[in-house]
Amino acid sequence: MLRASQVHGPAAVSGARALQAVLAGLVGQDESYKLTAINQFFNRRIVFAPDQEVWGQADYWASPLEMLGKGRGDCEDYVIGKYFSLLASGVPVTSLRLVYVRATIGGPGGEVLAHMVLAYYASPGAEPLILDNLIGEIRPASRRPDLDPAFSFNGDGLWQGVGAQSVGDPVARLSRWREVLAKARAEGF
Amino acid sequence: MSLIRQIWLLLLGTLLLALFAGVTIVVSSARDTLQTQLQLKNSDNATALAQVLTQQKGQREMMELAAAAQFDTGFYRSIRFIGADGKPMFQREATVRPQDAPTWFVALTPIESVPGVAQVSDGWRALGSIEVVSQSAFAHDELWHGALRAAEALGVVGVIAGLLAFLGVERIRRPLDHTVEQAASLQRGEYMTVAEPNVLELRRLTRAMNSMVERLRVVFEGQAAQVESLRRQASCDALTGLSNRGHFMAQLGAALNREDGHAAGGLILLRVHELAEVNRTLGREATDRMIRSIAQTLQVYIERAKGAFIGRLNGADFALALPQGGVAAETAKAIVELLRVALPAFGARVSVSAGAVETRHGQELAGAMTAVDFALAKAEGDEPFTVVSASTTDEGLVGGGEQGWREQVRAALNARRVRLATFPVVNAAGALLHLECPLRMQLAAGGPFENAARWLPLAQRSKLTCDVDERALILALDDIARDGQPRGINISPASLLDSSFAARLRTILSESPRSARHLWIEVDEIAAVEHFDIVRELARQLRPAGARFGLEHAGERLGRLERLFEAGLDYVKIDASVAHGVALDPQRAAFMKGLATMLHSLSLEVIAEGVSDAEDARTLWACGVDGITGPWVQAPESATPAS
Repeated sequence: MLRASQVHGPAAVSGARALQAVLAGLVGQDESYKLTAINQFFNRRIVFAPDQEVWGQADYWASPLEMLGKGRGDCEDYVIGKYFSLLASGVPVTSLRLVYVRATIGGPGGEVLAHMVLAYYASPGAEPLILDNLIGEIRPASRRPDLDPAFSFNGDGLWQGVGAQSVGDPVARLSRWREVLAKARAEGF
Repeated sequence: MSLIRQIWLLLLGTLLLALFAGVTIVVSSARDTLQTQLQLKNSDNATALAQVLTQQKGQREMMELAAAAQFDTGFYRSIRFIGADGKPMFQREATVRPQDAPTWFVALTPIESVPGVAQVSDGWRALGSIEVVSQSAFAHDELWHGALRAAEALGVVGVIAGLLAFLGVERIRRPLDHTVEQAASLQRGEYMTVAEPNVLELRRLTRAMNSMVERLRVVFEGQAAQVESLRRQASCDALTGLSNRGHFMAQLGAALNREDGHAAGGLILLRVHELAEVNRTLGREATDRMIRSIAQTLQVYIERAKGAFIGRLNGADFALALPQGGVAAETAKAIVELLRVALPAFGARVSVSAGAVETRHGQELAGAMTAVDFALAKAEGDEPFTVVSASTTDEGLVGGGEQGWREQVRAALNARRVRLATFPVVNAAGALLHLECPLRMQLAAGGPFENAARWLPLAQRSKLTCDVDERALILALDDIARDGQPRGINISPASLLDSSFAARLRTILSESPRSARHLWIEVDEIAAVEHFDIVRELARQLRPAGARFGLEHAGERLGRLERLFEAGLDYVKIDASVAHGVALDPQRAAFMKGLATMLHSLSLEVIAEGVSDAEDARTLWACGVDGITGPWVQAPESATPAS
């Protein structure tokens, strides 16, 4: 991870060091502690900025190290960083989902925008905990009336039966999600 | 295995390998592509279906319906919905076998349809995941058709490549065949050069063989020149270039006794009167000029009459042997008349006389010489430029005109009134090399079996020599089959001119291949000089059948036969006129030795004809000949002079 971070500049290296320190402290901890630690790490370290500003593209899915290198990111960059960090800390992939939501900002009747959050399901049918960059605190879904979930996905099953797929696999580059999956893998997550 | 066949196998192997590799690469890359496409389709369809299911607000029936609708209208192997707890909620499955692709092909090229998985939820509630696997049967059919198309296309390319290779191989094969043919002809003893081919390696090889043949030719020419000079020393008069006495006598003796000689002939003896006196008055130079002038006058005659030969017997005596009966006196008169006009230029006292006699085949040499000496003596008793002819001919020829002869020869052939005489040819150890078998023909039923001297001219005039030679060949083969003794027959020069003759002989030989291996076939040296290409072709036709092929009555012209080394011969029989009397004449022995050495250098066997005494035989063995034949070989006791 450290070696991979060098590509993205000194900020990425220090970010990776800090992340590794956090991850090291999570060994053996329970999952709610891990959630809190990772959520805080990214929410505090990363400043929100639209992709157009950071990457010069309308929409760009940055890998965790890319985001740490810039120190800035938008909603899906937060979610991606948290998702891979939690996986790295030992949280099972089945309990994590990336969720497209419709967020209403500033109370009912406020501005509506497309947003993405990370949901944590303690058990398959349980009410999820929402890790968000709009509200720093982790809350259960029922306490987030501002969010309306549309569709969710995760990396579960994507590599099933395909064996060891390399970063160079053409399929991996075809969608944003898979590209990020491949990049995160290459970065050591 | 031949080189060309090896090249072909190599080409074929390469083409098949290329075809196989080509099809394999096409199929495997198409398979990879299809597999990737399937994976993408599975993944996308799973995501799309998951979005639809997510819209169903968690109503299980609606979700199942949507998934079933997707399954029924699309091309799927299975669609499974797995609940959040990991238990399958519902699933649809179908197995479709490939329609066209055979089972072995499917087993050989498995296409993995990687399942596409997507998450389904109802609001925040995770419902489970949907797993979509597309149908891969169509992919196998597609792959199978692709493989067939590729094989077809590559097959066409392969055929084109094969055709090009064929042209290439043919380009190599032709010069290669030529080179091999040259090598084979070298082995057969036909030393010939061929055009250099375009192929680099073959060109070097051919050049090497050509230069070897060229070197051989130079060596041969050197030897031939040496032999020719030995011959001149041994048999020619230094001043005129005519045969000397010894050689003329040997020639005449051979001509009178040769099996296939001329039935009748003529002999003319011409003498310059008082040569010593003339020499004294005219001087040596003028005398020499006169002698040469007489020689030239005579030479005009031998050029006109084929088979005639002349000699300068001593200082003043010239002899002319004619191959035809009944013309001796007339010829002598014509010559003397010419000289009567020409000689006075050298001096008033220069004059000649001539005696002329008729000779017949089988006549003793001494008898003929005595008769002509007697005639000359009578002419000398008369005034200068007189010709006396002695009529010693006896009418032995068959009467009845040309038609009569033709009928007689034909009748004798048809009635099989022919047989082979046998004369042994032995080597130095006394072992039989072969039996020389001249044909004897009973011209009149119940009459004597006559030798060729009697009937060959008739056969030649009647153009029956081919039939005669063919009959001799068949008889010889029959005799060989009976007693296993090797036999030799000779071919008449006249037969060579018949274009179908060689093929006829070869057919006969091929019918009894076992006997053919013990057969020796020979033609006259003159035939080889005059029809070299025909003789060479005959050798090429007959030698592969196992028969040996050689020249007979050879010696005079061998040194001048420049392409002898191309002829492809097995042996050469040296004429009696060369071999006779070698014991007494060191120069002739030297010629004989040179001849034997030259012929041996061409890997030819050397056989001497007409050996009539033990001394000659001993000298001939010393000269290096491989075999001898003649009266002494046939009956050593009676032929050896009592000592």
